[in-house]
Amino acid sequence: MIGKELIGLESESIQLQIEPELGRRFAEAIGIPFGDQLPPTLVCTLKHAGFPGIQLPLPGMIHGEQKITYHRQLRIGETLTYKRCIKDVYDRVGKLGNMTFIVLETTGYDKVGELVFSSSTTLIAPAKGEAE
Amino acid sequence: MRSLLDYEVYYRLPIKEWVPTQLQVRQYAEASGDFNPIHLDENYAQQAGLGGVIAHGMLTMAQVAAMLTDWIGHEGTISELAVRFENVVRPGDTIKFYGYVKARMENCLILDLEAFNDKMARVLSGLATISVNP
Repeated sequence: MIGKELIGLESESIQLQIEPELGRRFAEAIGIPFGDQLPPTLVCTLKHAGFPGIQLPLPGMIHGEQKITYHRQLRIGETLTYKRCIKDVYDRVGKLGNMTFIVLETTGYDKVGELVFSSSTTLIAPAKGEAE
Repeated sequence: MRSLLDYEVYYRLPIKEWVPTQLQVRQYAEASGDFNPIHLDENYAQQAGLGGVIAHGMLTMAQVAAMLTDWIGHEGTISELAVRFENVVRPGDTIKFYGYVKARMENCLILDLEAFNDKMARVLSGLATISVNP
């Protein structure tokens, strides 16, 4: 069950090396040529930082909004430390009936502890379509 | 060469067209680690009330980002990109992306972004801040 008690929950920190191969495969999947720059939305893959005791997004959840703030450009080969936090949980009536909104914040820091990017993700769990 | 800061407010970016396929959605699931069955399992997506599988919102956002980086070239970088996914995108849809310069400041541009499907339903709206290299 997803409720307000999850607000403030933090993920473990995960280190992810942005290997060229990761960038190349991501670029290929989204259908763009891979040159000397990493695709900007690569920072938002889910290959990092799970929450203890809860899988997010749960199967069936849909993605409502996404914001990414880049404090500097991502460099090929660098290692980022990812951390996620649940910032808000609220209910609202929408197109699919009663829905629960979950707002996650993800931050990525470089080796010297400088913030490289931060992002905010709004996930929507339709009351009916919630995971088995 | 024309600098990004020469573009006037209301300048429209070249329109980008994109037709996602089920294969691309599967490739994106693997590249991103997002295996949510609403993107991959037709029966599951039907039961979830979505009327069939839908593309990842992040795959659509990646197209927006690509449209921007194509336009920017090496003259600047995206410093912020915010989007709202307003309607589902399905494999086989023809999606058109539009952007225009909403505001121009000393060393940055604010762009307004939208995407529509072939039924003219808006699937995405958003805002980007582009920092122009000095």
